[in-house]
Amino acid sequence: MSDEITEHPDRPQRGQVLFAALFLICATLLLAAIEDQTKWLKGKDFFAQPRFWPGIGVGGMVLFTALHFWHLPRKQRRLPRWMREADWFQWAESLSWAVLAIGLSLWLGPIGAAPIVFLVAVIRVTWLYQHWTDRREAKIWASVFEWAGWFLAYVILVPLIGYLPVTIAFSLILTWRVGYRSRLMMWSAGVFAVLVVLIFKSFLQVKIPGAAIYEYLPGALRSFFILNF
Amino acid sequence: MDLIYDFLAQVQASSSVLARWDVVLALLVGSVGGVLIGAIPGVGPAVAIAILLPATFSMDPIVGLTVLLGIYGSSMYGGSIPAILINTPGTAVNALTTYDGYPMTTRGEARRALSLAYSSSFFGGIFSVVCLIFFAPILAKIAPMFGSREIFLAALLGIILVVTAHRKHTLIAAAMACFGIWLNTIGLHSASFSKRYTFDQSWLSGGVNLIVVVLGLFALSQAFTLLHGDDEKVRLTKLKGSFFQGFRELARHPRIAGISATFGVVMGMIPGVGEFTAQFMSYTYAQKSSKRPEDFGHGSSEGLIAAETANNAVPGAAMVPLLALGIPGEALTAMMLSVFYVHNVIPGPQLFQNDMDFVVALYLALLILNVLVVAFLLVATNQLIKVVKIPNRFLGVCILVLSFVGVYSLRNSLTDCIIAAAFGIFGFIMKRMQLPVVPIVLGMVLGGIMEVKLRSAMARVKTPLDFIDRPIAAILFGMIVLVLLLHFRRVWLDYKERKTDEWQISHASTSFPAILSRRRNYILTERGKKLRAKRKTFSRRLTDKD
Repeated sequence: MSDEITEHPDRPQRGQVLFAALFLICATLLLAAIEDQTKWLKGKDFFAQPRFWPGIGVGGMVLFTALHFWHLPRKQRRLPRWMREADWFQWAESLSWAVLAIGLSLWLGPIGAAPIVFLVAVIRVTWLYQHWTDRREAKIWASVFEWAGWFLAYVILVPLIGYLPVTIAFSLILTWRVGYRSRLMMWSAGVFAVLVVLIFKSFLQVKIPGAAIYEYLPGALRSFFILNF
Repeated sequence: MDLIYDFLAQVQASSSVLARWDVVLALLVGSVGGVLIGAIPGVGPAVAIAILLPATFSMDPIVGLTVLLGIYGSSMYGGSIPAILINTPGTAVNALTTYDGYPMTTRGEARRALSLAYSSSFFGGIFSVVCLIFFAPILAKIAPMFGSREIFLAALLGIILVVTAHRKHTLIAAAMACFGIWLNTIGLHSASFSKRYTFDQSWLSGGVNLIVVVLGLFALSQAFTLLHGDDEKVRLTKLKGSFFQGFRELARHPRIAGISATFGVVMGMIPGVGEFTAQFMSYTYAQKSSKRPEDFGHGSSEGLIAAETANNAVPGAAMVPLLALGIPGEALTAMMLSVFYVHNVIPGPQLFQNDMDFVVALYLALLILNVLVVAFLLVATNQLIKVVKIPNRFLGVCILVLSFVGVYSLRNSLTDCIIAAAFGIFGFIMKRMQLPVVPIVLGMVLGGIMEVKLRSAMARVKTPLDFIDRPIAAILFGMIVLVLLLHFRRVWLDYKERKTDEWQISHASTSFPAILSRRRNYILTERGKKLRAKRKTFSRRLTDKD
């Protein structure tokens, strides 16, 4: 286990432990579910089994992420003084983990309990080795959900209001939101939106459905809008 | 002589495939669009190809592929512009161009550097296409020797090379490749009609679409990164005069240009290796064989030639494993593979045997493309450099708008968009930590190939050694063993070097509270004793008279 935090100066260290731990937890859960989610067919060759390739994939994810996690440069967090100095606490902690592992093994069987014990161990190690920069990095990751939300709102509104109006509105509002408020930028956003619709929908006839709102347009205009915008 | 006549007949037959207005239009759009995309730092060919993929599905295979190939082949020309002028590579592979290109700009030689970059790129591109057109008949003879086990081993070699190429990220790259393999297994297993990892959800029964993942990992994640970042102030140098001088200067370095282009062709043909290795090898060669190696990194024309020639020789060569074996060597060719599948054109040995016109037509398209791009750049560089000024967050808005076209037009599915957004967030996190995403895409594509080929290969294998009893299978197996041995040797040497460094350098404590605490303890205990002892030594001894 490497304790030197500046071992890989070519890569930012913030969030590495958190990412590796989260990925490892997800991979372990997937590996635990392999028996339930895939089948082993009798009489079929080993390499032709439906479980073979998912096993390679998930097994590799767990193995390599665990090794990556092990090799990550990290620093143990500073525990409160009473935790550091009290021998009884260290003993009690180790004992409680052992009791948990043995209890789970007796309850679920050693194979069933192994992923849970592994998960708990990963969470414990992550807690022990997390750094305040990891928490700050997690906040940045969470902030991206805003942009994903904008994108999904755009996707939901297009079949209702129409590709052209929603694209123009989306470009203008998002350009405003990211801080460009000059007339030039707003015009650029509007022109860009119109060009995208004209190129992809009107010229290339890319498959984007006509909006529900276009149904209310009169006769020829309705089909023109559904086809082109 | 027969070979030349055959070749000319082949070119004549293939040129009729290209003599269509839609192919000519695709060539123009691909070349100009690719240069523009390459010139804008933060977009790159992967984003553009991911967005345009679904739009090309409605086109003829040759038209769709020409557009995508155009973007792939010409983006590196455009990428050299910001690399030389503002020290920011337009595409990732132009990073080495900044080493010598930008120092030339700072000493007032921007036009010379750009001209040299264009001419080197042109030479690299043309060299690789000419090589491949001449190799095509040989490839057509070798390709049928690849059966299921050879294709399986070639795909395995590709995935191992992709993983080991990510030096210092090997473990996480391997984990990501396995993640890609697992993603590809989700859904209905066609051979046994059993569901795998669907969690009884109907939207997972059809599996996870490669294009949705690619759009999320490349386009949406890039949009999120740009939207989250800040704008950079750009100061452009004014360029005056013509750009033809580079060709004359390139002619004075035929050895470096030729060897760099050869590195590009060879490395491009090996799946999973690509531009970076080719550039690294040619740059190292150029530096070692140069009369002025100290100039490298400080504006050496030889360094610029080596970097640009090698990276532009790769796209043409990268089409070899894709067309001859159906194995993509990198993310961009993996995306192109989906265009083949959509049109029911299965790349592989049969394509080379039965549809040679199509293959040579693609190479001719690449050849014409290089001429078009250079002609465009020689005329329009002064206008083109203005695209560098587009603000980053506005680019993010544009990519988000365009990503919608890519994802939604595929199946008009909200679920696809949600999956793409999820992969976008995942890609953003990976980008922030500088972890590789390409192994995921290659894991998905090569995992699917390996699954099918291993199943059919194992049906005829009785003992493990039967698997490698054919010459090409044995060579491929030998290459896999060699690559793994070399990788483990390098890991061992790195480990030894790190340990030696650790022993040689004794680190001083960097914990400030600990330093203060030790200082306080010293002052309170040891320092007092020492001072008292010192004063006692030099002070006059007390006598009875005192």
